[in-house]
Amino acid sequence: MRIVSGGVTDQGRVRTNNEDCYQIVEPLHLFVLSDGMGGEAHGEIASAIAVETVVKHCLDIEANPAARVVGAAEPNWSARTKRLSTAVHLANRNIFKSAEENPDQRGMGATLTAAWVDGAKLSIAHVGDSRAYLLRGGSLLQLTRDHSLVAEQVRRGILTAAEAEESDMQSVLLRALGAQAEIEVDAEEHTLFPRDALLLCSDGLTRVVTEPEIAGTLQAETDPAQAAGKLVALANERGGPDNITVVIARFEKEPKGWFSWLRSGARKNPDSNGSAGGN
Amino acid sequence: MPKLSLMFDNKIVKEVSVGTRPVTIGRSPDNDIPVDNLAVSNHHAKVYFEAGRMVVEDLDSLNGTFVNDLRVERATLHDGDNIHIGKHRIKVDTSGDAPIPWDSGRKTAAPRIDETMVLDTKERRQMLQQAAAMGESMQFAGARMKVPTLVVLNGNTDQKEYVLTNKLTVIGKSPMATVRLKGWFKPQMAAQINHRDDGFYLGPGDKVPTVNGNPISGPLRLNDGDLVEVSGVRLNFIFRE
Repeated sequence: MRIVSGGVTDQGRVRTNNEDCYQIVEPLHLFVLSDGMGGEAHGEIASAIAVETVVKHCLDIEANPAARVVGAAEPNWSARTKRLSTAVHLANRNIFKSAEENPDQRGMGATLTAAWVDGAKLSIAHVGDSRAYLLRGGSLLQLTRDHSLVAEQVRRGILTAAEAEESDMQSVLLRALGAQAEIEVDAEEHTLFPRDALLLCSDGLTRVVTEPEIAGTLQAETDPAQAAGKLVALANERGGPDNITVVIARFEKEPKGWFSWLRSGARKNPDSNGSAGGN
Repeated sequence: MPKLSLMFDNKIVKEVSVGTRPVTIGRSPDNDIPVDNLAVSNHHAKVYFEAGRMVVEDLDSLNGTFVNDLRVERATLHDGDNIHIGKHRIKVDTSGDAPIPWDSGRKTAAPRIDETMVLDTKERRQMLQQAAAMGESMQFAGARMKVPTLVVLNGNTDQKEYVLTNKLTVIGKSPMATVRLKGWFKPQMAAQINHRDDGFYLGPGDKVPTVNGNPISGPLRLNDGDLVEVSGVRLNFIFRE
């Protein structure tokens, strides 16, 4: 699968700092996003630790392919999914440890949503209320479940989706990295198809931009970085109440066969067989 | 850790803590709590955590599972509840639940609600229990396991029947599709079925499928018994008991 990707993070219009953090590791096809919380600048520290820990543990796959699995893992998960889930458990420990060692950091935490692509296999690991969406054939599907109180209440039929949007409890999370020494990590695997688009975002986007708008932007703007920029701009037009981060990856069929060889030759583009880089 | 205590004649016979894995109760010795009594089925019931609350579920036992003298198929457990199975009583203790107190130093001030915060285990339990109490009746209705299934009525596919176990199901010629279409000129991805929190939604792929004869205009929630037609294949969507 050929992958093009891009991301944008923005402080928004109300907050004085940006506690969101994301990283795209193009050669690894790894996408990591985290939204930090905590007083002072500690949310920034938490989300930075989260992203750094996950990226480092995944990068280590070549040097140390048989690393121990941490936390609960389904036996049928691929090695990548197990590793990604382990990385999120390690991120939790690192944030928790940092807060234990530095009393002024107490109470800091972070969400984490990560996607790792291996051929047509997509692994997702997730804690908190950032989201991963998949756009396929015009249908946008939220792959992750928000670990927030209102989302749980909607799932139980106590609140309607509309009531949840009005709730003043939207910021109450049931799960986040750094809150406890050990946590539960959601992980799952999917098969990717050509023309799929994956979007990771912090709640700064989804609080003010609707799912049909997200789907529409992804369909109208095929350049990942441009589309991410448009979505961030839209959130800011609506008041930008929180930090906004959007990461987008698009999957295309690997060009092969004589026809695409002819076409790539005609375009004199030596890069067309590799994966195009994002920024 | 929350725990279950098997009592007989007011004496504790066995104690088992409830962690991330379900605790099984029954007559067969492979249960976590084996109960040797003919009134108890081989695999009688199980207790597990679901979204922060402890749940007991009867596994179609012959003589039933009772919580505080009420027969239940599935029920949320609270601290001090008694589960009765045969002549045995199992005491429920959820009190040991808060493993790590978090940020207790700051809690005196009311939380600023526009700041993201995480509920610690105890607060979370209380809020979810309130929520659970309100949602209980609805949970009961849906307690029976129903298996979403696509039955192939006609058309050339690799199987006659598909159980929809994944969040994303693709119908198409692609080798990665769940429902694989065979034959010339079939699209790689004809249509898709997505499992959302509130049901199974049929969406277009390279083709626009019909449901009960009507072409869909966007993702459409499937109902038990719906007839789906796409790329010359007719499928019946049903919930199997």
